[in-house]
Amino acid sequence: MMIALKDINKTYFGAQPLHVLKGINLNVEEGEMVSIMGASGSGKSTLLNILGILDNYDTGEYYLNGKLVKDLSENEAADVRNRTIGFIFQSFNLIPFKTAMENVALPLYYQNVSRKKRNELALEYLERFGLKEWADHYPNELSGGQKQRVSMARALVTHPKVILADEPTGALDSKTSAEVMQILREVNQTGITMIIVTHEKGIALRTNKIIHLKDGVIENIETNNPDLIDFNTEIK
Amino acid sequence: MDFWREIFMALSRNKLRTFLTGFAISWGIFILIVLLAAGNGITNGITQEFSDQSKNTYMLFGGETSKPFRGHGTNRSIWFTDKDIRFLENEAQHVDQVSPTINSSGFAYFGDQSCSVNMRGVRPVFQSISNVDLVKGRLLNERDERQSEKVAVIDDAVEKHLFDDGTSPIGQFIIVNGIAYKVVGVYEGDPNSNGGGALVPFSTLKKITNQRYYWMLRFTVKGLETKEDNEAYTEYLRAQLAHLHEFDPDDHSAVYIRSTQEEYLQTMKIFNTLELFIWIIGFAMLASGIVGVSNIMRITVKERTNEIGIRKALGAKSRSILASIVTESVLITAIFGYIGMWLGMVVAEASGSILAKIQEGNSFSLNIVPSIDIRIVLMATVLLIVCGVLAGFFPARNAVKVKPIEAMNYR
Repeated sequence: MMIALKDINKTYFGAQPLHVLKGINLNVEEGEMVSIMGASGSGKSTLLNILGILDNYDTGEYYLNGKLVKDLSENEAADVRNRTIGFIFQSFNLIPFKTAMENVALPLYYQNVSRKKRNELALEYLERFGLKEWADHYPNELSGGQKQRVSMARALVTHPKVILADEPTGALDSKTSAEVMQILREVNQTGITMIIVTHEKGIALRTNKIIHLKDGVIENIETNNPDLIDFNTEIK
Repeated sequence: MDFWREIFMALSRNKLRTFLTGFAISWGIFILIVLLAAGNGITNGITQEFSDQSKNTYMLFGGETSKPFRGHGTNRSIWFTDKDIRFLENEAQHVDQVSPTINSSGFAYFGDQSCSVNMRGVRPVFQSISNVDLVKGRLLNERDERQSEKVAVIDDAVEKHLFDDGTSPIGQFIIVNGIAYKVVGVYEGDPNSNGGGALVPFSTLKKITNQRYYWMLRFTVKGLETKEDNEAYTEYLRAQLAHLHEFDPDDHSAVYIRSTQEEYLQTMKIFNTLELFIWIIGFAMLASGIVGVSNIMRITVKERTNEIGIRKALGAKSRSILASIVTESVLITAIFGYIGMWLGMVVAEASGSILAKIQEGNSFSLNIVPSIDIRIVLMATVLLIVCGVLAGFFPARNAVKVKPIEAMNYR
C-alpha cells in the first residue's frame, strides 16, 4: 500500500468554519494511476495538499509508504516531500530566473548532491523528455508543453515513490495535454504511483481508478480501463 | 559554494535596488566614520597638548577665606610667601621641583629700539614644565639661578622689535627698568599675546623687585599615578597650607589647587561625552540605512513568495531559506558598509594629512588631525554584521512561516 487515508477530516477556520474534508478513506496501491475528480469546492485540492504534506489534517491517519504522516515538523515534512513525492502543478511553478536545467536540478540541491552530479542528472532527465537542447533556456523561452515537461523532469529527478499532479494539463491545449498524459502514463509504467487531480473527464479516463469527490466526501470510486481509449485522440 | 551562488544570483537580479539599498548603508557608515575620525582628531589634539606637559604639575592659587578660623575673620586674602616655597621644597611629600614665578613688566631698550616687555623670573624647571621652545642660544640654567646672573632669554617678539636690523641678539645687553641683562637665548613666544616676553632667573628678579608675595606657585610632583592619589594629595596640600596660613582646612576658597592631571581628566571627560554623542549621531544615520535594508528585504521576500513556496514544496527546509535571506541582507550591509567605511577612511585620512600640513609650524594651535583607529573599524564591522542580521531576520522569519501552498498561489 503506497497511500492509506483513514477518516481524514479537515476544517478551515476562517470567519466561517469550512469543513472541507469529511472523513476520507482511501487506499492507493503501489504503481497505481489514480485520478481524483470533482467540481471546484469539492475538496480535491485540499486532499492533494494533504497527500503532498503541504498542508496538515485535523483528525484521521495518513500512511505514506507504510509510515504515519502526522504532526511532522516542518523539516521532517520537507525531507519526506523531497525524497518520496514529486509534484506537477497546473501553473508549472518553475523558478523564472533559473534555466531549465537548474530548475530540474533544484530538488537535488536540497539533498546536498554536488553541482556536477546534479546537473548531470538534470540533463539526463531533460534528454528523456526531449528537452536537452533547451537545457540552458529560461522558462519564459519555453512553450507550455515544454514547461510542463521540465516540471515533470523536476518531479522525477529525485526518484520519488509518488507523483502528485494538480491539473497537469489545465494550462495546455488538447494536443499537448494528450502528449503530457502519454508521458505520465509511461512514467507510471516504470512503477511510480501517480495521483492526478483533474476536472476533465478525458484526463480521468486515462487512469485506472477514478475517485469522485463531492462536498468533502468520496462519492464513488470507479475502476477504469485506460486501454479502451485511443491515446492519440484529443482530450478536450 | 552553491549557497553563495544562489545568493549572488538573487542579489544581481535586481541591481538597481541592491545598489540603492546599499547606498543608504554606505552613507550611514561613511558619516559615522568621518564623524568619529574628526572626534578622534580633536581628542588626540587635546591629549597631545597635555602630553607636552610631560610631568604632572600642581598649581596653587591664593584666594580669600570664606570661613572664620581661630580669631581670623572672613575675606582674608591668602598670599604665598617664601615660607610656602620652603615648605614645598623641604617638607611637603611628593614634590619634585618648585617653580615659583615673579612677574615684572617694563620697557626693554637696545640701542635706539624699545618695546614693552613682560619679564618673568623663573627657575630652570619652569622651562620644561611650560614647554618653552628654544629658537637660538640657550635656556636658563641652574648656575644662572644660583648666582642670580643678569641674563635673559627673550621671545621672538622682543627679538623682532629690538634686533630688527639683523644683529644676533645672543650676547647683547638689553636694558629693562634700568638693569642691563645679557641675552643668552631666544624662545618661541605666544603668538596670541601682544607685547614681548622675557625669562630671567627667579633669584635675579627677586633681588631686583624685592617681591615677597606670590599669587601662584607651581611645582612638579612624582609618585602620584591615579586619580585617587591626586585627590588625596590635594586634600593633604590643603590641610598643610591651612596650617601654615591659619585657615579652616574645609575652606575651599582660601587656596585653589589645580593639577594638570585633574585638568586632563576633566577635559577627557568632555571629549568622551563628545565621542558618545558622535556614536549616537552616527548610529542614528546608520539606523535609517538599516531600516531601508529591512524594508527592501521585506519587499524582496514578498516578491519571492512564489519562489519560496516552490522551494519549500521541493523540499527546502525553513532554515536554508532563512539562512539565504539573512545572508543576503548581511552581504548587502557588509559590502556596502565596507565601501562606506573605506570612503570615510579615505576622506578622513586625506583631510587629516591636509590639516596636518596646514597646522605644521603652528605649534601653539591645537593639532586636530582626523584619524581612525582599528578599534573603530572593528566595532563598525561588528555593528554592520549585527545590523545585517537584524535587517534580514524579521522579513525572513515571515517568509518561512507561510505555508508552501499559500506561497505558491500568492500573486
